[in-house]
Amino acid sequence: MDVARWVKKAKKGNKEALLHLIMSEKDVYYRLAFSYMRNTHDAMDAMEEMIVTLYEKIGQLKKEEAFYSWSKTILVNVCKQLLHKRGKLVLLEDWSNVDDSELDQAVSSDPYRRSEQQMDIEALLLQVNEHQREAIQLKYFHDLDYQTIADITKVSLGTVKSRIYHGLQTLKNHYRGDVDEQ
Amino acid sequence: MNNNVEQQLADEKTHIASITAPEELEMRLRNALNSAPAKRTKRIASIWKIAAVVLLVTVISGQNYNAFAYYGKQLFGFDELLNGTTLQQLNEKGMGQNVNKKTTLVDGTELTINGIMADANQFIMYYTLTNPNGLEDMSVDAFRPSKISGFLTDSNVISGTSLINEEHTEIKGQMSFDRVNPFSKKLTLHFWQQLEENGQMSEGTVAFPYNPNEAMETQIKQSINKKIKVDKGTITFKSITATPTMTVIKGKLDVDNFDRVNLGLHGVQLIVNGTPVEILGSGNQTSLGGRTFEIRFDTLPTELHSMQLVVKEFTGYQKLDGKYSLISISDKLFLLGDKELWVKNVSKTSQGIEITIATDDDVMLDGVSIGTNNENTPLKTTINQKETKQVDGKLMKERTLLFDTQTEPESLLIEGMHYLKAYNKVIEIPVD
Repeated sequence: MDVARWVKKAKKGNKEALLHLIMSEKDVYYRLAFSYMRNTHDAMDAMEEMIVTLYEKIGQLKKEEAFYSWSKTILVNVCKQLLHKRGKLVLLEDWSNVDDSELDQAVSSDPYRRSEQQMDIEALLLQVNEHQREAIQLKYFHDLDYQTIADITKVSLGTVKSRIYHGLQTLKNHYRGDVDEQ
Repeated sequence: MNNNVEQQLADEKTHIASITAPEELEMRLRNALNSAPAKRTKRIASIWKIAAVVLLVTVISGQNYNAFAYYGKQLFGFDELLNGTTLQQLNEKGMGQNVNKKTTLVDGTELTINGIMADANQFIMYYTLTNPNGLEDMSVDAFRPSKISGFLTDSNVISGTSLINEEHTEIKGQMSFDRVNPFSKKLTLHFWQQLEENGQMSEGTVAFPYNPNEAMETQIKQSINKKIKVDKGTITFKSITATPTMTVIKGKLDVDNFDRVNLGLHGVQLIVNGTPVEILGSGNQTSLGGRTFEIRFDTLPTELHSMQLVVKEFTGYQKLDGKYSLISISDKLFLLGDKELWVKNVSKTSQGIEITIATDDDVMLDGVSIGTNNENTPLKTTINQKETKQVDGKLMKERTLLFDTQTEPESLLIEGMHYLKAYNKVIEIPVD
């Protein structure tokens, strides 16, 4: 059965249908939540809140096909609200404080290699401002299209494209700088 | 180190892709969803906003002495009716009949009966109202269908939905009626319309042809004739009729406290091939012969392997004969069986003693009185009933009990309660 039909069922208040929709993409949602919340516990909290919000608001969704991008927008909003509420908006600068064991639990690869690679990418992403960083992460790590990113970050399509473009330019320049100095 | 930025990003992506959701996620999401309150009213509200949909639930009145309650299909099946799955599909298969019969209402609005769709469970009419001078947003009064008559046919309106266009010059609507007799060739729609001058209504009619041979065939019609015992009587399931537009279960209720709990019939599930069929509505009718009911479900799948009726929940009764102390309380919790009773406030007014309580939505107390050592005062009336949302999101029913006495009570006496009880009784319906 295709997405639109499940969405229609969910619109009629069918909780199992909604659950099915989420569970069939559970890893994608979880990764998105995890990248904002930085730990398993909070990521699952955010998803719980998301599914309740989806249930309440699904009547407002006009295009059934847009369910996935719409629900991801809601998930990110929930994450941001939770972070805001807890007053611990995790900035990239603070990533080093993140409990590494949490990350290790969440990933299957070698923890040693993991942290090394992570530090590289963190150090790299610190070179761009937070808006550019968020857009780049959503695009390159979570495979979201420009329009969804625009919805999530509440800016225009053009702004998203320019954030990603300029962010990437900055990263490349930075890299070149490093190399030149060596 | 790989010094290509894109490569780095791609590496990190691969890495993130190895993160998988924990096992317990499904359970947590399910629990979160299940604790979310059912949202029927909210949903309707948002539909109102979005589409400016005019919704009519017509309760049959007037000459009919039957008490007729109906929770219509449109409450649940809005999308279905207008964006259409079932009916749309049937329409595409050419199951409808074109009528295109026009008439003019007293206010100049043109009424067109565009088409109909009929089977053994219902009769659906599609119509259009047009008026270049503009139509009222809620043309409930300008045009209110009441019934369809014909040979051995007197079919009352069940429910309808309609949609107005942006210019407010055209309303397209759909209205369902009880089934019509398969021998009728000509049908007459009876409707009420508003007279301009004094706000009075006049009855209008329009006749149109009907071809019973084009009615959709019934898929299943079989008798069930099984009884289920409940606390205060029996439910008899008599028959199941499945047609291309819906499935109807009919039966008889011989239950004293049936109407003590809202939507009591909605705890009956029709399970086909292991999955529940969506309930569309239910109704019950009292006449000399007793109380009959019908429960309407969505259509059945084409392949049938098994069919069961499950009385999951139904009105139940629990005897309590409980005495609950009212001394020194505010927001006090008692347990009635496994239901909560919150006593929120006790006060004395000029009307008597007022006790504000809250219980689960489905709980209705029976035989309530208050007492001191010497005397008991029975409940006079209940006022200010409302639904309140608790901190945990649970809906509670709050109301104030009024007792005709000025004596400060010591205790609250409750004989019993009506509530939605889990029965989980199963009836197998044989499939061929």
